[in-house]
Amino acid sequence: YPLFQRGGPQLRIFRPNFFMLAVRPGVPQPEDTVQFRVSMEMTKVDIRNYLERIYNVPVAAVRTRIQYGANNKRNHRNQRVKKPDYKVAYVQLGQGQTFQFPNLFPEKEQDEETRSFDDFRDKYMEKEKQKQEGDPRRGGVPDWFGL
Amino acid sequence: MAALGAWRVLRPGRRWFSETVPGAPLPPGGPLYPPVVASITAKSKAAKSRRLQRFNQRVHAAATVEEKLRLYGKLQRPKYTVYPQTFALNADRWYRSFTRTVLVPGMPPRGAAAKPPVGAAGATLEAGKSQEPGAEAPAAPEAPGDAEAPGAAAGAVPSVDIGELRSLTCDALLQESFYQNKKRPFLYRDQDHTPGPFLTQLVSTLAASLSGRNPLLAASSLDLSPEVNYYWHHGEEVVVHGHRKGRVDPVRFQIDDNPHLQIRVPKQLPEVVPLESDLGDVPVIDHKPSKLPLFKKQYENKVFIGSKVADPCCYGHTQFHLLPDKLKRERFIRNRLEDQIEVVYRSNGIASLFAWTAAQAMYQGFWSEADVTRPFVSQAVVTDGKYFAFFCYQLNTLALSAETVRNNPRKNICWGTDSKPLYDVVEDGNVKGFNDEVLIQLVHFLLNRPKEL
Repeated sequence: YPLFQRGGPQLRIFRPNFFMLAVRPGVPQPEDTVQFRVSMEMTKVDIRNYLERIYNVPVAAVRTRIQYGANNKRNHRNQRVKKPDYKVAYVQLGQGQTFQFPNLFPEKEQDEETRSFDDFRDKYMEKEKQKQEGDPRRGGVPDWFGL
Repeated sequence: MAALGAWRVLRPGRRWFSETVPGAPLPPGGPLYPPVVASITAKSKAAKSRRLQRFNQRVHAAATVEEKLRLYGKLQRPKYTVYPQTFALNADRWYRSFTRTVLVPGMPPRGAAAKPPVGAAGATLEAGKSQEPGAEAPAAPEAPGDAEAPGAAAGAVPSVDIGELRSLTCDALLQESFYQNKKRPFLYRDQDHTPGPFLTQLVSTLAASLSGRNPLLAASSLDLSPEVNYYWHHGEEVVVHGHRKGRVDPVRFQIDDNPHLQIRVPKQLPEVVPLESDLGDVPVIDHKPSKLPLFKKQYENKVFIGSKVADPCCYGHTQFHLLPDKLKRERFIRNRLEDQIEVVYRSNGIASLFAWTAAQAMYQGFWSEADVTRPFVSQAVVTDGKYFAFFCYQLNTLALSAETVRNNPRKNICWGTDSKPLYDVVEDGNVKGFNDEVLIQLVHFLLNRPKEL
């Protein structure tokens, strides 16, 4: 390939592994802040361009940090097992937009059948447990103990 | 008893275990046993509150203000450094929640007798200050013509000649930007090159020419890039990691500010509204300050107004702040953050003025357990060389720590304007588009004084 100079034809295409994963923040973040796990090679400029050009999201500020994955766990051969490192990006949205991470597992409404089946199942389990325990008047003493 | 004697040998002068002197004669007819109170050294909440009370009593009982300040800032722990000139987004909302400040847009309404009338434009000024540029423009050309106001009230005080002040301003501006041969400014040193010296020159000449009208200015002290520091507690948090993990600690803040110029006066400016007035709401932010982003550091807990306690000019009059190159308007416009331009001015005004007024109050002996009995008022002008924003701050309360803020109904108040340009452009030895409102507002600020003078 000929050496590239500014204004010349771009003959090579680079396809770096740039990914962004929106995650639920572990600690509560302000309303305009979104937390992402991004590829380790992405910079703040890359993250801003990614969001603005691909998804048309107005970005006001980006801050990044690298989370070190611990190396303390040991496997069955006593070798240390490392959890992978990853980069976390905190993106503050522009134009007064806010973001709240959605609840991915909402409580589903149970209909009549499932509710009655759950009740029946709980009652049956209670009866079984009672049978296993024995007479409560003996105070936990087994029934083979005695005269 | 032997143990007590041994402890006294090991640590002379400090008796931790009891407050009564063993062996002293009991008062006749009084109780036979010492009062039953919580321990001092135990790891319990009652012991902690008793230690806090002993500390508060020590500070209350301190003889001089220097001793009080020394005890107040004696214990060093990691604290958040609050920067008045910050690039953080929506910083003014956060700063208002840290300092319990209400922001009121526009300048406070002034009484007609509080200041001397200003030329023929005096009547229009009292009516609608800085809201009608149309009324100012026709009034301004008349002002150079008549120096004395024919129909002005309070004729004992001579009026101010706006034309003369305008020519002084234009002289300073042209001298710095046109007449003087300066080399190109170094990278990111634009503000120190032209607007910095212009501001210094402007303020010193205006203060000198107006000191005849305002005797307070004549007795004032003008500081060049002074230091203003303040340290305070607000709210509580649990320590996250370290050997003190799990304990409940107050959240500590420190402001270290370097205004470009500062005027300190020996007498206090008059209060704008009564001490207990409520002009709005303080924003409540539940998140930790580190989300702003704000960072923790441990260093000296300094409280300073620009001069030491013994200085006679211990009250503040006006501060002048110059915005750095990092916070220029062009940078915000290029990054499409136009709404953050005003936030920069407001956060600078609120943080710097809170630090200054609170430090002035501490110099008079007030602190978070001994709240202020009279409001402390100061003014500030934040500029980037061309655009000027005016702020007036009234400190009503210093009690911001977790125990004292619970029952505290008072709030601090900050009046602030938007930034307005003083001129449009400087070309070929002429200043085009000069804005008289800004100059008149500046003159009002400098002429502000207590009612007795």
